[in-house]
Amino acid sequence: MKRLALAFAALLVASPAFAADKLTVLLDWYVNPDHAPLIVALEGGYFAKHDLDVDLQVPSDASAGPKLVGAGKADVAISYQPDLMLQTKEGVPVVRFGTLIDSPLNCLIALKDGPVKELADLKGKTVGFSITSFQHAYLDAILGTVGLTSADVKTVNLNFNLMPPLLAGQVDAVMDGYRNVELIQLEAEGHPVQAWFPEQNGVPAYDELIYETARDKVSDPRLPRFLAAIAEATAFIKDKPDEALALFLKSHTDLDNDLTKKQFAATVEYFPDNPGELDKAKYLGFAGFLTMNGLLDKQPMLDTFAVELPAAK
Amino acid sequence: MIVLRALVVAVGLVVLWQAVVAVFSPPPFILPPPVAVWHALRDRPDLWRVHAPTTLIETLSGLAIGTVIGAALALAMSYVPVSRRLLLPVLVVSQAIPVFAIAPILALWFGFGIASKVVMATIAIFFPVTSAFADGLARTDPGLIDLARLYRARRSQVVTLLRVPNALPNLVTGVRLAAVYAPVGALIGEWVGSTSGLGYAMLFANARSETAVVFAALFLVVAMSVALRAVVDLATARLTPWAAEIQ
Repeated sequence: MKRLALAFAALLVASPAFAADKLTVLLDWYVNPDHAPLIVALEGGYFAKHDLDVDLQVPSDASAGPKLVGAGKADVAISYQPDLMLQTKEGVPVVRFGTLIDSPLNCLIALKDGPVKELADLKGKTVGFSITSFQHAYLDAILGTVGLTSADVKTVNLNFNLMPPLLAGQVDAVMDGYRNVELIQLEAEGHPVQAWFPEQNGVPAYDELIYETARDKVSDPRLPRFLAAIAEATAFIKDKPDEALALFLKSHTDLDNDLTKKQFAATVEYFPDNPGELDKAKYLGFAGFLTMNGLLDKQPMLDTFAVELPAAK
Repeated sequence: MIVLRALVVAVGLVVLWQAVVAVFSPPPFILPPPVAVWHALRDRPDLWRVHAPTTLIETLSGLAIGTVIGAALALAMSYVPVSRRLLLPVLVVSQAIPVFAIAPILALWFGFGIASKVVMATIAIFFPVTSAFADGLARTDPGLIDLARLYRARRSQVVTLLRVPNALPNLVTGVRLAAVYAPVGALIGEWVGSTSGLGYAMLFANARSETAVVFAALFLVVAMSVALRAVVDLATARLTPWAAEIQ
């Protein structure tokens, strides 16, 4: 109701259009603090102000969003920069047009009182990971900094069940936990942990979460307005984090607990001020990393997978 | 004859699939054409050599253990009638728990090797076996049992000489069902914690948007289920020659 009222108010005040344009956005995962700019833009009326009626949906699995967007079933998907280039290689017609999280969140986590004190201790140990598209390249790069390869460790796919096996001692370290989610959670639960960040250990930096759209929608006038609303919501989050958190929790009361608050606070710094800006060197650099590791056949041209849209009119 | 029939059905399905692709032309990352799946099967022997045997071994072990446990439980319930009243509710409850929900916990208990998958496959299949076999054991002609008692047959003799032979066709039905479900159990196990297997291969291919590879792995799982079912059919045809199916 409130959303409707806001949209209506925006219609009267700000916009020459007759009705807000619908825009369907597929999230990568259940709503969590990574999605704060989207939730705040929705609840705070920033989308409405830009004449957008945004519908946020959670798909069945993290890789479904880009495929559905590529097939024209939705307008925007949240995905991962490393996956983006593999999607385009497989013929999914999507491009990145914005950044939600402009740093890797992924990290390698071990318990402080466990057997892994430094990276070299991983030799002969078991490393758990969640499904990622480029698991060995990643691990090889990190282990390469101490003269090891992924063949020196035993890898186990834990899918969505990352932390219990680490705590139970069945794996000695885990990859693919997020520094603003799992790391915070382990510490909050009283487990002293240490983490290695990939971008400091042999892996080039990348954007963990990005906005993708179908290649044939890059000139869609809704998208620059979408990014403008996200930028305004981000400014609000950074300016008034407590009020932003309250807005975020208002529609997601199930997340209203101390852990979410800590995770929210740890996530704010990773939201870029200008979500539409494209860091070309970063995207080409990571494509080079994937190519070098045999995940891409050849270095792709930048405009085949990432674009920067003109500013909203 | 059976082989021919199976071939006709398989070819028919592939033709239908190709027709859907031709008519609706979905993007290949949503529904790949059969030829793309064939290429994925042909061009990735490295993948299948590693992952298919894992799933096959998990499935066969689960099927063997689940069948033995399932048959043993049914026999126990037949020998000791009071155990039927005690066991049956437990069995029904065990089936009401979704395997998917407890899979992560089983992985924690049994590790990420083959054991947790075999346990998962066993849980998925022992119930159809127990249920079918127990029904057969319970439904022996009461007239025959009265006759055996008149001849002072012991309880154990009644079970081995009358009830078990009478229930063998039911056991066969249970094992046939089990043969189809066993790979599903193994796959669920691979989903939550694994180092290899067709489920593992599928998860990775999906993350890489390699839809044709996902379908190729699926094809191998289905082929495995069908082959298992055929082997069970062949093996059991000799077991119960007096109860041959009428076509």
